Amino acid sequence: MKKLAIGLFAAVTVGLMFWGYYQAMYVAPNDAMQGEIFRIIYYHVPSAAVAFAFFAVSLTGSIGYLAARHNHPERAQRFDAWAVAGAEVGVVFCTVVLTTGPLWGRRAWGIWWTWDARLTTTLVLWLIYVSYLLLRRFAAGPQMQTLAAVLGIFGALDVPIVYMSNRWWRTQHPAPVFGGGPGSGMAPSMVTVLLWNMLAWFCWGVLILVLRYNVERKRQANAAEEAREALESQV
Amino acid sequence: MDRAAVLDHEFLIAAYTVTWVVQLSYLAWLGWKWRAETRAARRREQESR
Repeated sequence: MKKLAIGLFAAVTVGLMFWGYYQAMYVAPNDAMQGEIFRIIYYHVPSAAVAFAFFAVSLTGSIGYLAARHNHPERAQRFDAWAVAGAEVGVVFCTVVLTTGPLWGRRAWGIWWTWDARLTTTLVLWLIYVSYLLLRRFAAGPQMQTLAAVLGIFGALDVPIVYMSNRWWRTQHPAPVFGGGPGSGMAPSMVTVLLWNMLAWFCWGVLILVLRYNVERKRQANAAEEAREALESQV
Repeated sequence: MDRAAVLDHEFLIAAYTVTWVVQLSYLAWLGWKWRAETRAARRREQESR
């Protein structure tokens, strides 16, 4: 039953991805100012939104791990698995944002990169979570998960700064598309396409997030078994 | 089509391609990791019998 539900969700997600692509490439109109290059928005903005959502998952997992690690070790491991899954999938989406952004910027602004507030804070966010993953990969010992949880919470503090950066500081990056005050917003025909792609990428993200969580749970089970065997061989 | 429009199209295709390459590479890595963990568990199970 569970496998059927996952298979159905995966099929719907693939359908949504094709529909989103079709909408972005063939249905959405060209932008009056930027022309065709503006269509990058249909992959760039949803990737940023999904990255933020999964960094929030990582934050929740990290807080949960710190809260449960003494009294509920099994629950703490589940929280930790969500924390690492959220961080890793968030980094994947953030990587997409940081590669599609410069491609768009090169055509729209004539430059690949500038140290503008939105770009810099996004790069810092990516670097924090990459260091989180490196810490988990290369550190060892019982303190590793606790240190990673603390770093995960600090990393998440950058998310609202990234989100607000083009509201607080008006530099190179365009003003927010939604909720940016008077003058912000898109044509309804573009909004619909953006929302379809947002939904499609969110479903795709959930799919790989759940897969990553299950891989981590398997890894935890293997590591626990390995530790138990090592202890038994010493006794 | 003028040169600017051709470049716009190429950059758009590059952005979409990069997105899919990143996402599908990650999915492939997850699949490989899943298989490695499953095999490790199975091997341990067989050894303990």
